[in-house]
Amino acid sequence: MIGHLRTWPIVLALSILSAPLVLMYAYLFIDTVTNSPPRSFIPNEFTLEHWSFLWETRPGRPSIWRVTLNSLLFATSTSALVIVVSSMAGYVLSRLNVPGRAYFLAGVMVLHAFPAITLIVAIFLVLQVVGLYNTLIGVILVKAAIDMPLGIWLMKGFYDTVPWEIEMAGIQDGASRFTVWRKLVLPQVKPGIFALGLFAFLLGWGEFILPQVLAPSGNAQVLSVYLAGLIADDNNFDMNLFKSVGLFYMMPVLILFFFFQNRLMNIYGGGSKG
Amino acid sequence: MNASRNIAEPARAPVGAWAAPARVRLGWLNSSKGLGILLLMPALVLVVLFFLMPVVLTGVFAFTNMSTATGITGGAYQISPGALRVLTDRHGMGDLAERLGQPTYVVDDRGLAALEEMGIDPGIIAGLRRQYSGETYSSRREFERDIRNLPVRPDTRTVKRISEVFSRSLGNARFRSSTALIAAADAIDPDLTEEEKEALTATTYTGWTWTNDNFRRLATSRDTTRVFFNTLFFVAMTLTLFNVGYAMLLAITTHYIPERPAGIFRIIWFLPRISPVVIYVLLWKWLAWDTGFISAVLSNFGVRPRNWMLDTAANAWFFVILINGFVGASMGMVIFASAIKAIPESLFHAASVDGAYRWQQIRHIILPQLKWPILFVTCYQTLSLLTSIDQTLLATDGGPGGATEIWSLWVYHTALNNYAGNLQYGLGAAMALVLVVIGIVLSLIYLRLFNYNALVAKPRIEL
Repeated sequence: MIGHLRTWPIVLALSILSAPLVLMYAYLFIDTVTNSPPRSFIPNEFTLEHWSFLWETRPGRPSIWRVTLNSLLFATSTSALVIVVSSMAGYVLSRLNVPGRAYFLAGVMVLHAFPAITLIVAIFLVLQVVGLYNTLIGVILVKAAIDMPLGIWLMKGFYDTVPWEIEMAGIQDGASRFTVWRKLVLPQVKPGIFALGLFAFLLGWGEFILPQVLAPSGNAQVLSVYLAGLIADDNNFDMNLFKSVGLFYMMPVLILFFFFQNRLMNIYGGGSKG
Repeated sequence: MNASRNIAEPARAPVGAWAAPARVRLGWLNSSKGLGILLLMPALVLVVLFFLMPVVLTGVFAFTNMSTATGITGGAYQISPGALRVLTDRHGMGDLAERLGQPTYVVDDRGLAALEEMGIDPGIIAGLRRQYSGETYSSRREFERDIRNLPVRPDTRTVKRISEVFSRSLGNARFRSSTALIAAADAIDPDLTEEEKEALTATTYTGWTWTNDNFRRLATSRDTTRVFFNTLFFVAMTLTLFNVGYAMLLAITTHYIPERPAGIFRIIWFLPRISPVVIYVLLWKWLAWDTGFISAVLSNFGVRPRNWMLDTAANAWFFVILINGFVGASMGMVIFASAIKAIPESLFHAASVDGAYRWQQIRHIILPQLKWPILFVTCYQTLSLLTSIDQTLLATDGGPGGATEIWSLWVYHTALNNYAGNLQYGLGAAMALVLVVIGIVLSLIYLRLFNYNALVAKPRIEL
C-alpha cells in the first residue's frame, strides 16, 4: 500500500461506479432461468422455458443450430486466414531483407489505424457485382482482411522476440531460409499464434456490422445478426428470450476468456478497435 | 553474416539430374528477397482487394448517382411517363414528349409482314400496301376508318387486330442500347434534331451516370451541419469523459488498492469489450426500456414508466455516450495501468517520505508519466470513435428523430439500410469518402507522431 489514506473509500467508490455493469451482467444470467412478476426484478419462479429456442425453430427464422454453425464457420475461418497470412507477412517484416520493408511496416501501421468500416459501401457494391453478397465466403474474406493488419503487427512483435541465433544456427547447418522459418522459427512463436488465433476468433464471433450489411439473410446468417433481428422485431418482445439467446451466444466468449484471460487482456490493451 | 552463405552453399549442390528443378525452387525460397516476396504475397493480395480497391472505388462511386433505382451494373433506356415529364419540363421539348407518349400508327413493311404471318386475307394486305404504305396516323380512329375504306373490307374484329399490329407507341418501351432507342424514335418522327436525340437518351436512361451532385448536396444540405456537429459532440464527449478521463480514473484508483480487488474491478470493466456488441447493447436496453429496470425501480416512486433511452434527445445522448464510453474505457485503463506500473516504486516511497499527499503523487509522479499513453489513446480513439457505428446503431439507431445520427450511421442509413428502401449508393459513397480522407490523414499523423519507423530493426542475415 502506497499512500496515507485507507483504501476502503476507493473500493467503495469503484463498487458504486461498477454497480450498473455488475447488475446488467448478473441479470443476463438470472433472467434466462427465472420469471419475475411484472414491475419487479425479484424472481419468483425457476423455469427453463426461455431456452426453448434451442429445440423449437421460431417461425420465419432459421434454426438456431444452423446460425450457430455459420457463426462458428465464420469465426474459425477468419481466424485461420488471419493466422496464416499474418504469420507469413509478420516474419518478412521482422526478419527478411525485402526491398521497401520499412514502407510495408508503415503501411501495416496505417492500415491498423485506418477505419476499414468506412469502406463498407464500396465493398458492399463490389460483393454484389462479383456475386459474393449474402455468402459466408465474401464476409469471411472481408473480415480477415480487416483484422489482418493487427495480426501482422502482433506477429511481427512475436517474431522480434525470437533470438537470431536460432536462425543463424539453422542456416549454418545448411537449411534454406524457408525451412528455417517453417521448422525452427514458427515453433518458437506458437504461443503468439495461439493468442492471435483466439483473439481473431473472438473478434469474428462478436462481429455484427459486416455480416449485417454483407450477408444479412438466407443461409449465411450468423448469431449476431440473428439476435439483432429478434430484438428488432417489435411484434415479439420477449426480453427473457433475447437474454437466453444472448447468453447462449456469449458462452464461448466467457469460457475462452476465463481460461485465457491474461493473454487476451494483453492483446486487447495493445489496441483493438472500439 | 555473409559467411553463412558460403556455408549454406554446398548443401544446395545438385545431387543428380532430378534435383535440378528442386534446386531452382529452393534457390528462390532460400533468398531473403524471394522468400520475403512469396510470404508477403497473400497479405498484399488482401490489402489490394479489400483496402486499396475499395478506397479507389469509394472515390469513383462518390461521383455517380448510383442507387437502388439505377442498379449497379448499368441500365436500359425506358420511355417512362417520368422521363417524358423531365423532357417537357427540363428540356422544353413538350412536342416531342407528346408525340413519343401517344400511340402512333405507322404502315410499314414490318407490320405488313406480321399481318401475313397472322394469316390475314392477302387482298387486305395488298390494299394496305398499295394505298397507305408509309403513312403515319396519330389517332387510332382515323387509321381504322382508312382500313375500313379498303377495297376488300375487313370485319370490325380484324380491323382492330390490324391497327394493333401497326401501333408503334413508345410509351413505356424499353431499349437495350441508345441506338435502338434513336432508331425507334426516328420511325415516329424522322426529323429529330441532334439536340433532341441527346436529350431523349439522357432522360430515358435508367442506369447510373457520372455526376458531382452528391458533393453539392452534401455541401448545401442542412443535415450535413447537424450530423457534423452531432459527430463532433459525440467524439469529444466520449473521448474526454470516458476513453481518457474515466479510463485514467480506473487506472489510478486500481493502482492504489490491493491487487485482488483491483483485478476484479479490471475484469468487470473489461466485460463490455469482450461481450459481443449485440448482447452488450441488449443489456443497456434492458436497463432503459419502458419495461426495464430503471422504469420498474422508479415506478415505486410514482414515475411513469417510459423508454429512457429514446424519450428525449438528451437522454438518448446520455445513453449513447455511456454505451460507447464503457467499451472505450477498458483500452485506456489497460494502457494507463501498465504505464503506471512501470513507474519505479521508489519514487512513490520517496514522495511518501517527503509527505506528499496522494493527489500530489498523482499530479507530480503519475500524470507526467502518462503523457505519451494519453496522446496515444486520444489519437487512436478519435479515429475509432469517428467511425464507430455498431453500438449507436443498435442502441438508438440515430433516434429519436435523428437526434443521435452520427456521420457513420448517416452513411449506413443513406447507402445500406433505410425504411424507404431507396438506397443511394453514390451519395453514401460521397459521405464515406469524407471519413476515408479523414481516416487516411489521421492515421498518417498518428504514424508520424509515434515514429514507428524506429521499430524496424535491420535484418541480421543478409541472405
